[in-house]
Amino acid sequence: MITLERLSSRAGRFELRDVSVTVPKGAWGIVLGPAGSGKTTLLETIAGVRLATGGRVILRGGDATPLPPEARRIGMVYQHGYLFPHLTVEENIHYGPNDASATREMAARLGADSLAGRSVTSLSGGERQIVALARALAPNPDILLLDEPFAALDPRRRVRVRAELRRMQRERGTTVLHVTHDFVEAGTLGDLALVLDGGRLSQVGTPDAVFRKPASGAVADFLGAENVYRGSITRTGAGDAMEMATLFFTGDGLTLVGVGDHPGGAGHAVIRAEDVVLARQDPGPSSARNVLAGRILEVAPDGVLARVTIAMECTTLVALITQGSASELGLAAGDAVVASIKATAVHLC
Amino acid sequence: MSARSAHRVTTVGVVTGAVLLLGLLALPVAALVMRGGAEGLRQLGSDSELRRSLLLTALAATSATLVALVLGTPLAYLLARNRMPAGSLVGALVELPLLIPHPVAGIALLLAFGRASPAGGALARIGLGIVGSPLGIGLAMLFVAAPLYVSAARESIARVDRRYEDVARTLGDSRWRAVRRVTLPLAGRGLLAAAVVMWARAVSEFGAIVILTYNPKVASVLSYDRFTAFGLDAALPIAAVLVLLALVPLLALRSLRARAGSIEHAA
Repeated sequence: MITLERLSSRAGRFELRDVSVTVPKGAWGIVLGPAGSGKTTLLETIAGVRLATGGRVILRGGDATPLPPEARRIGMVYQHGYLFPHLTVEENIHYGPNDASATREMAARLGADSLAGRSVTSLSGGERQIVALARALAPNPDILLLDEPFAALDPRRRVRVRAELRRMQRERGTTVLHVTHDFVEAGTLGDLALVLDGGRLSQVGTPDAVFRKPASGAVADFLGAENVYRGSITRTGAGDAMEMATLFFTGDGLTLVGVGDHPGGAGHAVIRAEDVVLARQDPGPSSARNVLAGRILEVAPDGVLARVTIAMECTTLVALITQGSASELGLAAGDAVVASIKATAVHLC
Repeated sequence: MSARSAHRVTTVGVVTGAVLLLGLLALPVAALVMRGGAEGLRQLGSDSELRRSLLLTALAATSATLVALVLGTPLAYLLARNRMPAGSLVGALVELPLLIPHPVAGIALLLAFGRASPAGGALARIGLGIVGSPLGIGLAMLFVAAPLYVSAARESIARVDRRYEDVARTLGDSRWRAVRRVTLPLAGRGLLAAAVVMWARAVSEFGAIVILTYNPKVASVLSYDRFTAFGLDAALPIAAVLVLLALVPLLALRSLRARAGSIEHAA
């Protein structure tokens, strides 16, 4: 288990501030955030290679803040691997304390065994990452910190190594904290997602909750939400600010109805493109509380889907529908369309 | 003037400048070797004083270099990793001997370690006299050449990414064990090149040594001694042998730098 209590740290002028979160034992935590948000600094501070300037790092229930890295028993993999170039691949893998036969088996599962005779300098970026993973896993750590460990792997190998690592993590009960920019990876592996922005923790939750209900417009933007609008939010009724209520959003020329626990005031409306339903004309009475008319700017194929960009009065709305729906409706640039969005699909934050 | 003509004029200017400087550097050395090289090599077989002075020079320079390796490498590491309080002040202090005229360095050493000084007196009482002894030669060489070793070693260590040490520590190494197992091997060729530079500088030292220890004579002092006592012809062979010997560390250094470059590139 990893618990951080108001953890702060510095990297040059950058400051990581007041990060508090718990990653339960055996859970796979994903760290998301734009470049320069403090993801690597966070991992380095947990590993102890960077000093905490405030707060505490609690590992396995005990305060590890004053402990040096070697006493924390954490495996760490950097994006660039940092394989020791003066050692062979095999010497790298066996660098830390390890059980030789178990390490060989683990290396074989990751596909690092076939590289054993190679010089580190002859490895590709992906091979280096595999060897770095095997080296970090060899001492059998119960906490593993991964900084974009699959970034240099080709897509086929990435899927295989990711799946194998997930299996090993479950077998060993390892607690993982994993920095990635890959949202598919975050959704596939993560039990918990942490979003960092500007050195602060913006949001913690399951990956699904974070993607569906981002805590702020900035988080929604970073997570690739297609429709993010800035405006003001009004609550109906005079209930507790923390209770769910019907909310009205006005901004960017739109008026939207949503449901949530926003206390009201300035905020953002976030609509995922796949939650937008398109029709050629007003569908008439329906349960959707938001019906918006617009004109199509572009219909762009996106695999089996079609990304439809619609010009509204003062802004645009993106809808993601199947190619079949797009061709059945005969959608083309310049056509008038009506977009329907349920109030529950309008996330106000 | 067309662009092509301008390019040609610039090229001719660059090449002419380079050739002029090369000539200026090579001419005195070539003249020395051509005039005294063969005789110097012949004298190596017959002149026992020359052989003794060359041996003394090599031993003193090697001892000074070994001391710098043992004491200077930790200092270079602390400076490279910014782990020393007032690091820039310490760095300036280390490099100060490079800026002092060498006879002045000799005078400073005489003041600090002469028999009249507390340190020199104490050392003399236990049989480690500095003035007029091989120990004084080694000390003078250390004083003038160790800054070169520390500066080059610091740069070499600083080029090794700190994250290699960090990874080693997450794999169970203490800080100093990580330095020994990872940083020093990765900086190894750079450290060796720094040691070669220092050794070569120590071998060529004259100003500080001549003030601290005229006798026994190192090769540079012997060359000066024969020049002042017997004239140019007597000094030439020794001077030429010194130049030829300087080629050995020079070639070693070039080879080490080439290999260090390839390792850093691979890392």
